[in-house]
Amino acid sequence: MSLVNLAHVCSHLNNATKARLGFTSIPNSNLHLKLCLALQNDGFISSVVRGGPEAPPMHNLLGIPTGHGEGYYVEPVTQINVASRRLWLGLKYWQSQPVLSKISMVSKPTRRLTIDVAGLREVVRGQKSGYIEGLRSPGESLYLSTDKGIKEARECVEKKLGGLVLCRVL
Amino acid sequence: MSFGRPPRCLFCSFSRAAANGPRVPRRQFQLSAAQFADKPNKKPVEKGVTLKQLSENMKPEDFKPYTKKEKAYLKKHYTPEQLAAIEAGEAAIDPKDMAEQFRIRKDPMKLMYLDDFSVVEPGIDKHVRAPESNSDYNATLKTEEDFIDDFAKFISEMPEKATVSDWVRFAEQNRMTIGKEENELNPNSSLVPDLFQPGETIDGPSDKPHNYYDVSRTPNQVAKEDKEASEALKVLMKNTGYSASEIASLKTKTLVRKSVVNQTRLGKIRSEYVLTVAGNGNGLLGIGEGKSQEPPDANIQAVYRAIRNMKPVPRYENRTIFGDVTGKVGAVELKLMSRPPGFGLRCQSLIYEMCRAAGISDIAARVERARNPMNTVKAAYQALMSQRDPEEIARARGKKLVDVRKVYYSGRRN
Repeated sequence: MSLVNLAHVCSHLNNATKARLGFTSIPNSNLHLKLCLALQNDGFISSVVRGGPEAPPMHNLLGIPTGHGEGYYVEPVTQINVASRRLWLGLKYWQSQPVLSKISMVSKPTRRLTIDVAGLREVVRGQKSGYIEGLRSPGESLYLSTDKGIKEARECVEKKLGGLVLCRVL
Repeated sequence: MSFGRPPRCLFCSFSRAAANGPRVPRRQFQLSAAQFADKPNKKPVEKGVTLKQLSENMKPEDFKPYTKKEKAYLKKHYTPEQLAAIEAGEAAIDPKDMAEQFRIRKDPMKLMYLDDFSVVEPGIDKHVRAPESNSDYNATLKTEEDFIDDFAKFISEMPEKATVSDWVRFAEQNRMTIGKEENELNPNSSLVPDLFQPGETIDGPSDKPHNYYDVSRTPNQVAKEDKEASEALKVLMKNTGYSASEIASLKTKTLVRKSVVNQTRLGKIRSEYVLTVAGNGNGLLGIGEGKSQEPPDANIQAVYRAIRNMKPVPRYENRTIFGDVTGKVGAVELKLMSRPPGFGLRCQSLIYEMCRAAGISDIAARVERARNPMNTVKAAYQALMSQRDPEEIARARGKKLVDVRKVYYSGRRN
């Protein structure tokens, strides 16, 4: 689990949304994929497609790679091509503002921060716990890497899971 | 002033004089219970028995059926059907079960104090205020006998040299109903709203407003004021659509005033710089800057620009902001933080005045790095305007959003 690469992904997503790009790509890894799926599940990004170095075919109407549609072919991931795979993300905008306006790392490659359920309860209520600031802005989310996969902080509280705090999304 | 009888709130007792209904406890400025002269003091609660001991020593004999006296008292308040239901309910529960199953509540909604709910505790319960409306539901029309009494009183009190005008005054001013005076003179009705402005009659505006109305400004006066408005004010009224009186009722506050200098070939030219905030105290806020060599000019410029710049500020529950927001102008970086009800405005004076004007009552703020007053005001305005609406966020993400504060207590706010 390389947090260096994850930090690069966060910076890249910030830059892409500031430049108002319709879609972008990030290096493929299981951590990135799981995080992107969690972001998609929470509505921050519109699509996640695992493709090659070239952008996969676009959806006719949406103009972003959706990973399905007429004549769409998914190249299976093999040992030969896995190194060249990338994740293609569709970015979302609402009233000229990016839906994912800011994503920043909480754990750093040199300082990983973990949190238990008790601490997470405080954070979700908007209070600081340890080194982790509370979720005080409307719609602010915190993603954790837990035993059960990458989950949002509120879901972790619901399922009584603690874990490694990855990033904060606004 | 006697300390046994607390000072009374003026605002609560406006319509008290004529009220003849049951007495309502007034708002207290102290936590001890009100002592009324005509009411014996409440007996102090017996000490030495805790709730725990009470619950442990509970016996079936403690739950006695209603006595005859109690039943007679209940009869005054309940219909026979309701009384039968109460008795059936009492009979259905065995006193033995009551004694055995009596428990001290431990759930989160338990009360933190003992109370029988029969009296209003000033420190704990909501204040019971005198009714605001003029309506008196117990008012009745005077009978013929009452009129005869009134007439007799008039005759007995008549001055020696009585004129026709005395009789006319009596005939006009004698009241037709028994009850609150306001109920007759200024009745309130949602079906028939006020047709006339205060001081107006069916024959047109009257110079002499009725005794009951206490209004300083009539529409005529307002129109007159509008005519006397200055050129700048007229432009402002045209641009904003507000009348002069509405503009006068806005909350404006000059926050920054300084002298600035322009160095020219001919020398230094001094002028006055003024920064003003304006708001209606209910969600509108604007800031305006004025600069002129004449200080009063700069003042008027700033105030009018602030009024023209007024924009709605998003407010959560009309009291605080949505989440934490930041603003940055120049070297001033500040953070405004939302706070729970009753927190107050715990922030520096400039932000305090802005919140007052905008109608925000709960907020905390931190101003970091520089604290230049002008830039602080601008940064605070920027921060207030940069709030994100949760509804918009939910729509952007395609999620459903529910404010649980509105869901609890059946969606009632207070």
